[in-house]
Amino acid sequence: MASRSIRNRRGRKKIHQDFDLQLTSMMDILVIILVFLLKSYSTSTNSFSSVPGIKLPISKTQVLPPDSLHLIVTPEAITFENARVIEFVQSADALANTDQPSYNFKKEDLDEGGMRIAILYDALNRAREKAEVLRSKSTARDAEGKPLPFDGVLAIQADKRVKYDTLRKIMYTAGAAQFRVFHLLAMRQDI
Amino acid sequence: MLKRPSSRRRSAPAEVKINLVPMMDALVTMISFLMYTMAFLALTMVESPLPIVSNEQNLQEIKTPPLQLTLTVDDKDVLLWSPFDRIPQQSIPNLADGNVDLLKLHEALIGIKQKFTNETKIILVPKPTTSYDTIIAVLDAAKNLEKTDPVIVTKNEKTGVQEQVKELFSEVVFGNLLGGDE
Repeated sequence: MASRSIRNRRGRKKIHQDFDLQLTSMMDILVIILVFLLKSYSTSTNSFSSVPGIKLPISKTQVLPPDSLHLIVTPEAITFENARVIEFVQSADALANTDQPSYNFKKEDLDEGGMRIAILYDALNRAREKAEVLRSKSTARDAEGKPLPFDGVLAIQADKRVKYDTLRKIMYTAGAAQFRVFHLLAMRQDI
Repeated sequence: MLKRPSSRRRSAPAEVKINLVPMMDALVTMISFLMYTMAFLALTMVESPLPIVSNEQNLQEIKTPPLQLTLTVDDKDVLLWSPFDRIPQQSIPNLADGNVDLLKLHEALIGIKQKFTNETKIILVPKPTTSYDTIIAVLDAAKNLEKTDPVIVTKNEKTGVQEQVKELFSEVVFGNLLGGDE
């Protein structure tokens, strides 16, 4: 027992003397990672995030979207500012074939001849009123000393399979809630 | 009396070791910072304002009718036309797989832009069944000028200087947003 202990101590001493950590290869790896990150580095001023299950279209446009109110259209539902506003009615065909979701609304969710989505209209109106209150309290003023007007920008992030009929209803509803500019979001194609 | 031999010749070359630990620290810090601030979701946007309904009086005041270039996306083709007949109507049939022929559409739009260099607006009229993917692809073809496209030059009305056009039709409005399929 005692002899093993002495042997261990000797061995430890030996390692301590000869052990020299080779950092060169690790440095190489880190430099490669750094170069890769610098090459593909991109920042954005917005807080947009993606959600699982959504497939965005690809665009060659290189315009970075500014931060604004954010609406997401997934195959299941419409989400506005991270809150699920309305769910789509899934037909039997859509449930059987998940690649072709149906973006149908319940009849009671629509008004104005089936063009306006009532629940979404309420949510957008609340967001507009909130933004107007914040602007009225802000120190930023226009040339006449009045609070800055509501910018009315809505960023729409939709699944690429969404039909124009659904998009039109959303934009019509947003227009009714005094949103004047739409930012249609897509994945940026690297040129 | 002989001198003592120089010790320089006999001494082995000194082994130089660079301390890599501080450099490692710096690299790890930089990588952490880059990964934390990096936007992994590369998003872009296509802007479209809400169409405004103009009254008839304004139209009567305009002496020359506007181009009002309209792009109608149909099931089988894409139509390029002007409600005031400023250009002959062009029909671009879809490809065999049913997708819009974006190359021909882009070429046709370049031809129109060469005639109306100051025009920046285009009205998009998709069908209710047109997918968002197709809309974005058509908007790409209508807005962006590629490096390989012919150079289009226009006269800046403010400065009077000839300038190269950087975008095709940058202002896109959905024509049937407020109602109606056509």
